[in-house]
Amino acid sequence: MKVGLFIPCYVDALYPHVGVATSKLLHYLGVDATYPHGQTCCGQPMANAGFEKMSRPLVEKFERTFKDFDYVVIPSVSCAAFVRFNYPKILEHCKVSEKVYDVVEFLHDILKVKALPGKFPHVVSVHNSCHGVRELGLSSPSELPGPRFNKIIDLLHLVSGITVKEPERPDECCGFGGMFAVEEPDVSKRMGEDKLAEHIATGAEYITGPDCSCLMHLQGVARKEHKNIKFKHVVEILAAGL
Amino acid sequence: MSTLHAKRAREFLKDPAKITHHDQTFWGMRMSRDKMVTQIPEWEELRDKASEIKRHTITHLADYLEEFSDHLEKNGVHVLWARDAKEFNQMVLKILTDHHVKKMVKSKSMMTEECGMNDFLKARGIDVVETDLGERILQLMHLKPAHIVVPAIHITRQQVAHTFEEKGMSQEEGNDDPTYLTRCARNSLRSEFLEAGAGMTGCNFGVAKTGDVVVCTNEGNADMATSMPKLHIVAMGLEKVIPDYASLAFFQRLLCRSATGQPTTTYTSHFRKPRPGGEMYVILIDNGRSDFIANPDHWETLKCIRCGACMNTCPVYRRSTGYSYSFFIPGPIGIDLGMLKDPKANSGNVSACSLCLSCDEVCPVHVNPGSQIYLWRQQLDHFGTANSEKKLMSWGMARVYNNYFMYDTALKMAPLLNHVPEAIIGNPKWSPWCVGHKMPVFVRKPFHVIEKDLEKEYGKESTTKL
Amino acid sequence: MKKEELFAKLRANTHDQFDMPDMHVQALKYADTLQQFIAMTKSSGGKAIRLKRDADLNVAVAEAYPDAKVIASNLPGIKADRNPDLVEDARDLNGTDVGVIRGEIGVAENACIWIPQTMKEKAVCFISENLVILLDEADVVDNMHEAYARIKMTDYGFGTFISGPSKTADIEQALVMGAQAARSVTVFLLS
Repeated sequence: MKVGLFIPCYVDALYPHVGVATSKLLHYLGVDATYPHGQTCCGQPMANAGFEKMSRPLVEKFERTFKDFDYVVIPSVSCAAFVRFNYPKILEHCKVSEKVYDVVEFLHDILKVKALPGKFPHVVSVHNSCHGVRELGLSSPSELPGPRFNKIIDLLHLVSGITVKEPERPDECCGFGGMFAVEEPDVSKRMGEDKLAEHIATGAEYITGPDCSCLMHLQGVARKEHKNIKFKHVVEILAAGL
Repeated sequence: MSTLHAKRAREFLKDPAKITHHDQTFWGMRMSRDKMVTQIPEWEELRDKASEIKRHTITHLADYLEEFSDHLEKNGVHVLWARDAKEFNQMVLKILTDHHVKKMVKSKSMMTEECGMNDFLKARGIDVVETDLGERILQLMHLKPAHIVVPAIHITRQQVAHTFEEKGMSQEEGNDDPTYLTRCARNSLRSEFLEAGAGMTGCNFGVAKTGDVVVCTNEGNADMATSMPKLHIVAMGLEKVIPDYASLAFFQRLLCRSATGQPTTTYTSHFRKPRPGGEMYVILIDNGRSDFIANPDHWETLKCIRCGACMNTCPVYRRSTGYSYSFFIPGPIGIDLGMLKDPKANSGNVSACSLCLSCDEVCPVHVNPGSQIYLWRQQLDHFGTANSEKKLMSWGMARVYNNYFMYDTALKMAPLLNHVPEAIIGNPKWSPWCVGHKMPVFVRKPFHVIEKDLEKEYGKESTTKL
Repeated sequence: MKKEELFAKLRANTHDQFDMPDMHVQALKYADTLQQFIAMTKSSGGKAIRLKRDADLNVAVAEAYPDAKVIASNLPGIKADRNPDLVEDARDLNGTDVGVIRGEIGVAENACIWIPQTMKEKAVCFISENLVILLDEADVVDNMHEAYARIKMTDYGFGTFISGPSKTADIEQALVMGAQAARSVTVFLLS
């Protein structure tokens, strides 16, 4: 299978180690993943702010870059969800939207990973990012009935020594929301503070999730509050030891 | 860069304990709803079918309204059609003055709130008495509802006690026990029910096949309001009509579970005819609905059954309160309805959403209020209400992302920001991000630079260049 | 506004039209429907008492409400002080301690009881301080789909589902029984 790797703009700029972990993990699992150079952004921030038309050139570029791959893997649920659900509305005959996967989905559903080499003897609290829960189906939304499942946790349990917790409100929004964080800074801050408090209450040393934008937001709040809790993207934990 | 909602929310958030209480109250209601949902294995099927029944009914609305009104008229009910709020208020006034009514008791109706009926009638000498306890408390305190189902949830028992004492409804100074206060209201409202010349109700569902006006309450106030006064007036939005009893079963099962986490309201009353010796009027109100239906992106907002589940689950509503919104209905559905009704006036609410889509998951009829907010955002530019700073930021980002040289350069320069003094870069005046966060740290080597080393590590040839 | 004008506008403004769904649904059924009804009646704040159809209902009412002084009912065999068929005005029913009325269908999923109006003044169902509702055990169904398939209206043109006493939680979410209508409801389940 030909796999293309898309590393979101903010991961490129702020959390490249998440990209590195993704790349190394896929390589370890025998996946021939290509990172086409010249990538920037999937277009989500402008669209969520209300300027979807401004995203079009980026959508077209993404389509050009990735349409011939079998899968496109992204270590970010919000970007993956945007490509999957919004691209078809922005671009006619979009091919890439069906091929795009968040890295957790890809590992869990496509590669069906059943073993991982790493150790992570720490307590982690899982941050179930909204796009992952309600758009990509990474976990069962708490609003709906039915059997509970969580692909993030399934994969984390493959790492030895780990203890996995979830906050009391398992999938309440952290309050980042892209431009929401700057347009409604007080509500965003309050949401972040509440979410952080719930994660901390689990006794975890690390907060982990499938999207760096949520983690960035919570980390920003944590540092402002002088809280010591650490942050890692899920893929970093899954790639532990590599 | 502050929208109306953001400005108001800031003020409310200055009292963190109050917001904690507000947030926990509504989260509790969301939890109660969840508990109900786990007890109904067919819940998703109910939602899906309820949504389809509504889609069918709304897209055949004229047919069903015709059927509904025909039955009503056959049963001796007067049916009136109000184009807008103004016409509705005039109609109510005329009915009341024709019948020499000076006092009207009413049960909860968001429709009358929409039309500003109470103030209109009050200014013309009619005493309108709210009989839903929450609405009555607000009426006595001259406040507006903060939620469509539990409008006075933000009022403390002390405030209620004080108000009741002021109004002579409570004789025990300082007694703020909710049971005692409810009894005071019961006694006071009992006199109102007995004295009133007319009773007004809203309508949760109008059954086209039989002409039933269905009103759901926990207090029984709609029934009290219509069992003593001989004149019954129903205020009903056009979109409340549904085909038949088989359809009604779906909505009855979904409504209260979604709203408060109860399996049913205490009373689900069907009014088909006037009382013996009485008269009944049903006023069907358009007030824009016949226009909303033409909106290809947003007509499904008309499916809303006013349960309030979306606001209970909305993390933004819970932390900003109903008074942060410019429309009389708050929360996700309020943002959508406000934009349908008056986009220019209500654009300031559209920022009140992190697009978490929890509301989409709880809406019993798949209005998808959160997804609709995303669409409304795309249209703000067209209404001329897009935030110009946000637009500039978005434009700026798009420019940088579309030009790789600029992007690469920006990333190379970004680490400089790490050295800007906290007093400047961390100042909320310059950077709204810093209201709640410390700035993130920009790395010296972004991924696209490191990647080249990884490729060497893997022993790869140079990768595809764009 | 004339309705013809409205109908024309609605039709003109409607683009796509949609069909009704298949209305069949595999709705909640209970292993023991009656027990579920009794349990739900309790959780709605009401009380359910099982009696034989030939039991002395007046004794049962007196046992349920020993302090009651004024009973209102138009049911044959019920010893009543007021009759909602015969009162001059609905207001005359104010001050009733116990109203005794007939229910036709009980719903297990939510303790609703369908009460079609069978008396001149329906106020008796709401203005009474306490309600006794007579319901045949055999008339309890599982869910609202079944109930709505069966309910009938009388010529009075009013009917209501009642589930437990009148209640409110409007003051600080504290649940209080007896908001504007009945403060307690006792269901006599007859077999």
